Amino acid sequence: MVAPPVLYNGHVDFRMRLVLATLSGRAIKIDRIRSDDMEPGLKDYEVSFLRLLEAITNGSVIEISYTGTTVIYKPGLIVNGTVTHNCPLSRAVGYFLEPVLLLAPFGKSALSLTLQGVTSNGVDLGVDTIRTALFPIYNKFGIMRQELRVIKRGAPPLGGGEVNVFLPHVVLQPTTLHAAVKTPSVSKIRGVAYSTRVSPASVNRIIEGARGVLSMTGCETFIYSDVARGEESGKSPGFGVSLVAEARSGWCYTAESVGGPGETPEDVGERAARALLEEVAQGGMVCRSQVKTLIVLMVVGKEDIGRVLIGKGVIDEGFVRLLRDIKTMWGAEVRIKEQETLDEEDEQAEGLEEYVVSIKGVGFINSSKKIA
Amino acid sequence: MEQQNKAHRAVRKKSQKVAAQNNGQNPKAFAVAAPRRLERQARRTLDVNEKRFHVPMVDRTPEEPPPVIVAVVGPPGTGKTTLIKSLVRRYTKHTLSDIRGPVTVVSGKRRRLTFIECANDMNSMIDIGKIADLVLLMIDGNFGFEMETMEFLNILAPHGFPRILGVATHLDLFKSPATLRASKKRLKHRLWTEVYKGAKLFYLSGVLNGRYPDREILNLARFISVMKFRPLKWRNEHSYLLADRIVDITHPAEIERNSKIDRKVTIYGYVHGTPLPALNARVHVPGIGDLTISDTERLPDPCPTPYQEKKDVEEGKIKRRKRLDDRLKVIYAPMSDVGGVLIDKDAVYIDIGHRSFVEGEEKGVGERLVVGLQNAKTTLGEGAAGIRLFSGAEALNEIKPEDDEDDDIRKRNSGRKERRHGRAIAGESYPGHSDVGNDDDGDDEDEDEDYDDADAEEAAYSKSMASRLVDNDEGEAEEFEFADSDSDLGDYDDVDDFEVGSGDLRWKSNLADRALKDYNRRKWDIGKLLYLDHISPEDVIMRWKHEQLSSAVVDGEEEDIEDDAFASENGDGDNGDNFFKKRENSSILPADAEVIDRTIPVYDDESLKDKWSVSSPAFAALKGRFITRQSDESDEVNSSDLDSDGDDVFGNFEDLETGQTITGSSAEEEKQHSVSGEEEAEEQKEISYDKVREANARKKEKFRLRFEEEEQQEDDGLGDDDPEKKLYDTWHDAQKAKIAKQLEINKAEFDEMDSATRERVEGYRAGQYVRMVIDNVPCEFIETLDPTFPVIIGSLLASEDRLGFLQVRIKRHRWHKKILKSNDPLIFSLGWRRFQSIPIYTTSDSRTRNRMLKYTPEHLHCTGTFYGPLIAPNTGFCAVQSVANGAASGAFRIAATGIVLDVDQSVQIVKKLKLVGTPYKIFKNTAFIQGMFNSALEVAKFEGATIKTVSGIRGQIKRALSKPEGYYRATFEDKILMSDIVILRAWYPIQPRKLYNPVTSLLLNEKTEWQGMRLTGELRHEKNLPVPQLKDSDYTTIERAVRRFNPLRVPKTIRSELPFKSQIAMMNPQKKESYLQKRAVVVGGTEKKKRDMMQKVMTLRNEQVRKRHEKKRERKTAYQKKVAENEEKRKERERKDKQEFFKRQGKRRNTGESGGGGKRHRGDDE
Repeated sequence: MVAPPVLYNGHVDFRMRLVLATLSGRAIKIDRIRSDDMEPGLKDYEVSFLRLLEAITNGSVIEISYTGTTVIYKPGLIVNGTVTHNCPLSRAVGYFLEPVLLLAPFGKSALSLTLQGVTSNGVDLGVDTIRTALFPIYNKFGIMRQELRVIKRGAPPLGGGEVNVFLPHVVLQPTTLHAAVKTPSVSKIRGVAYSTRVSPASVNRIIEGARGVLSMTGCETFIYSDVARGEESGKSPGFGVSLVAEARSGWCYTAESVGGPGETPEDVGERAARALLEEVAQGGMVCRSQVKTLIVLMVVGKEDIGRVLIGKGVIDEGFVRLLRDIKTMWGAEVRIKEQETLDEEDEQAEGLEEYVVSIKGVGFINSSKKIA
Repeated sequence: MEQQNKAHRAVRKKSQKVAAQNNGQNPKAFAVAAPRRLERQARRTLDVNEKRFHVPMVDRTPEEPPPVIVAVVGPPGTGKTTLIKSLVRRYTKHTLSDIRGPVTVVSGKRRRLTFIECANDMNSMIDIGKIADLVLLMIDGNFGFEMETMEFLNILAPHGFPRILGVATHLDLFKSPATLRASKKRLKHRLWTEVYKGAKLFYLSGVLNGRYPDREILNLARFISVMKFRPLKWRNEHSYLLADRIVDITHPAEIERNSKIDRKVTIYGYVHGTPLPALNARVHVPGIGDLTISDTERLPDPCPTPYQEKKDVEEGKIKRRKRLDDRLKVIYAPMSDVGGVLIDKDAVYIDIGHRSFVEGEEKGVGERLVVGLQNAKTTLGEGAAGIRLFSGAEALNEIKPEDDEDDDIRKRNSGRKERRHGRAIAGESYPGHSDVGNDDDGDDEDEDEDYDDADAEEAAYSKSMASRLVDNDEGEAEEFEFADSDSDLGDYDDVDDFEVGSGDLRWKSNLADRALKDYNRRKWDIGKLLYLDHISPEDVIMRWKHEQLSSAVVDGEEEDIEDDAFASENGDGDNGDNFFKKRENSSILPADAEVIDRTIPVYDDESLKDKWSVSSPAFAALKGRFITRQSDESDEVNSSDLDSDGDDVFGNFEDLETGQTITGSSAEEEKQHSVSGEEEAEEQKEISYDKVREANARKKEKFRLRFEEEEQQEDDGLGDDDPEKKLYDTWHDAQKAKIAKQLEINKAEFDEMDSATRERVEGYRAGQYVRMVIDNVPCEFIETLDPTFPVIIGSLLASEDRLGFLQVRIKRHRWHKKILKSNDPLIFSLGWRRFQSIPIYTTSDSRTRNRMLKYTPEHLHCTGTFYGPLIAPNTGFCAVQSVANGAASGAFRIAATGIVLDVDQSVQIVKKLKLVGTPYKIFKNTAFIQGMFNSALEVAKFEGATIKTVSGIRGQIKRALSKPEGYYRATFEDKILMSDIVILRAWYPIQPRKLYNPVTSLLLNEKTEWQGMRLTGELRHEKNLPVPQLKDSDYTTIERAVRRFNPLRVPKTIRSELPFKSQIAMMNPQKKESYLQKRAVVVGGTEKKKRDMMQKVMTLRNEQVRKRHEKKRERKTAYQKKVAENEEKRKERERKDKQEFFKRQGKRRNTGESGGGGKRHRGDDE
């Protein structure tokens, strides 16, 4: 009766595969997880993610082998609810939040999730970036009214941060996206520079550094400062900045950086600013930290063709793996076609290599959504 | 300087506005004459328009639609087969003698019809109801509607109502035209109540030559040909197929070995609904179960429409035909007896009838030989004797395992092992990448088998191509060729350069240079590379990004590309490791992004620093991507001076007419210096004011345009014709426009793709004729195949492949005789599936809990919960208790209908539980309760629970008593009585039983007789077992002891102390004897009888007297009335007389007066 599980091996794209499995309802088996490693098996954060998945779903079956190198996951239904999750310090909360954002709109009810741990670490998306750069992507698909509140900022290594996310909007299926006409122009640059348990001046120095690079663009720039004090700050000192280049149409590019040991705030600001310029230079509607979310939302849509423009630089190994995973899960393929420049005098599109990704939705329907 | 006053503004003349408004017309002439009527008319128009609206639904019917499935349904003997024969004859001039399975005919330029007859069986009716586009509902006009017809209509309703055309037959049996007319009317109105008011009912009279009259059939055909179909929700979301041909392609030897082996079956048919996924589609075949399609393939349309043929001719696919013959009108009915020859992709089938090649009845040598061969248990050459290829040659008993070439390869493989060592060690030095990109999903295992380990190692080895080239030998050339031919990646093919076997290998010369050239020439298509699973994602990106290579790396690189075709996943993805270094020019480091599953990309800080400096070319190119205030101005104000203020009117501007640039300072200088030429300066200043204004206005306009343009281009992805931008009268129109636009986009996108890509991206769309291979079909399906029962392949969405609990809103059908009982099995028809499950009926207790009901309520919906395959909420279903024809009792079989409300993996249903106890000791408000629990532990669980007595006194469980086990102390709001019963109301959670039993009717010999799980009652009845009865449950007569209540006696002492208000009113005992007490004699005996008699007589007399009096009074009143009347009359008369008299008297007096007058005079007169 039930289809055999989809087999994967290796720990690569662990989160995304579980998300796709949950959305499609197919059981998956992942084996050879770091089987050749000195420390074989799942890492603590992966196990923690599985726990979180179990908390927001009903009826999921997770079997982890004795060595931890094999995981069998039979997804249940997404129910959401009120969940508090303590994230391990090895990863930031963004690691857990990113996949949850993809699942939550297709649940039975609203999700109110409290995550505790490191709020940004420069590897996973920081909470500010998620709010300012990932939520607009969801809005494009008709998934609205997300709220993210940073209750405490926690810097690595000791964390101590706390984030509350409220995702009230449950949808039947995302709307079909059409965004393949023109690369958006950046109309303004916004950002959040934050610090915890360090001198508040460092925030201003970050902003100074970032503005120094961004001023060359001549674009309107405003970077908010957020200094966590007392109760609001976590256990470790740290600072960082998250930048977003916004277009009028709602699309945005993002970059962030977090201060490492021995780094000056100016360096952190400059680094983020340069990374932002790099992302803008890639072209397309989205930058690299948003593209997977975008593709998944397009796949779980109506049985219509949606199109999106993405830059050449955005297409990387992870992108290819995602598309292959989607194919194994749903049997759906996407088409990538080079965008021919519309007119010669358009100085904006000059030098951009862009591709139109056409995706036919799989006719996904949020079956756990209740009717009155 | 003289004061300069502003010139007076010219007085504007009063415009003739008022006159213009009227426009020279009489306004009264345009007033509404009859406002009420106008309003009514407007309202009616709105009503009519509103009625037309349905929820906008996407119509995904492709350009070349699939045949319309016309189901002919009706009770046996209504003429279904005759109707199909007549219609087929009408369309094709063919006369079918034996109709088995679907018959597809071309009915018009762009329409085909598939006729299918629905057997009189619940399973067939359910299946047909789900796929039919048009139902020809056959009704025996002479008999009227039958149960089956009503059942079918009620099956259709929850599965989306297709179009229905009633066809009444047997109308020739009516003798009198009046009865016929009345009967027709009756039938029509009955159909209207079932379908909709105004539903078409066709009347067919008698049968001529085994067909209905041509004229009537022609009319029916015309009606069918113009019929329009509305998309139905379920079919708009699923792909489905009505099998018109089924072939078992299992290897005969395997069947020979094990006749019960699962079969491999090909199924042919037109795709309907949404496109069928191209890869591993999960389907449900009602009557069999869930299956996976292992392979799908598109076949040429066996029954193309003239339109399609014309298009094909235009495109040069087929030869042009001069005119359409009647003979060429196409019919396709592979299960029936049309034609007799079937041509398939891999075989030609000739229908030789049913009675050939029968064992024991062979006709001739050839047949005997064939039949003899069929009997062989083993295949040719498998026996001990072996096989003799040539006469006189020795019999071969075994085949040499491999031929020489393979041996060679093996030798080479073994020979290479030593040289490979070095590479293997090198490979191990990249352990981190060992499992990167190994995302084969098991589907590729077949491919993998081809590439054994040796091959994989070979691939790794072949990287050292350059060194191999030095001592090349023939075998390796061959190997290289093999690799190349296996690679289907490149567009170019340089196989010509390989001259295998020739002594001089031309291709060897100058290899590196040419490889470099080729490599740079080659442009990889990401779309193609993307899904080549044997190339790791790293390689895909590397190849596609196509970085310029130095000739040093090219050798290895080129080779790598060639080898990868068969290197497959076993290559561990570290093939590309050597080449990561070439990406240094890119600012993105490959790093361990994949290894730790990070989201933020890794940047190379140093290169970024170089790249994004002010002077860098990258930055200059990027500048256009930002909208800046400065850039806007610099466009407009073409000046060398950048720091000028935009709002300074004396600022720089360009005289657009002359093209001369004027700066503010120059104007000022002029003003200062040329004092003498003041007027001149004035003039110029004025001019410049105007110019400035003009320029500003122009600038503003340009800004506005620019912003508008920007906004417009960025907001939408659809360009100018975005339906969101336009205005529509109604929301409905806007939605429809949106849908239309989306369909247009879909079409444009799909048309751009080549057919192979399109099939992969879109799937097999509706209207295409496909052949699908399904593995692991139960052998009974093939063994008992009967084409008269429809075989439907319905695709499943990803979420429909799971089992869980479904919560449904369910209502027993009002025509079903029995009410439904919780925990009794029921057969549901939900989605594509028919399955038996065990529902529990519940009701919501003020939304706090789902309370179980024993039975479905009468005439009400209730909630039902059962275990089954998950399905999207809002899907309708119907349920029956049995699908077996044998079990039919003649009563209405549809037991219930409803829709799915919610799906989940767990449910919370409770059952009401009342625990009862009695007090055995009562204090004030405290009482000890017995008989409710058996142990202190049980009591402990319910501590604090509310309890209640029958009389309504509420209380709480406090604590278990130590001594009698299960007794407890409770407190109440008032003192309870010993006779009270104490009740604890509790809820007991229950789970529905997890039964999912698909109706596998197609696997039976008797397809109409599927029997699922039986009811307990049925089993008992069959086994003749008595119903076990608890003694406690028996009803007995209740004996209640009469309760005596003593009067309230207040002691004297207390009574005396009571306050006045509370004093009990006491009567003193009567001192005097009453009359009765005093009376000495008590009548009795005859005296009493006499008195009694007398009393009765008196009563009668009294009654008589009373009546007489009554009569008398009546008479008296009548008389008095009469008297009063007479009196009245008399008085009247007297009055009149008096009047008369005095009149006369008066007259007389008057005359007398003339002579005298006055009384006196009169008297005098007399």
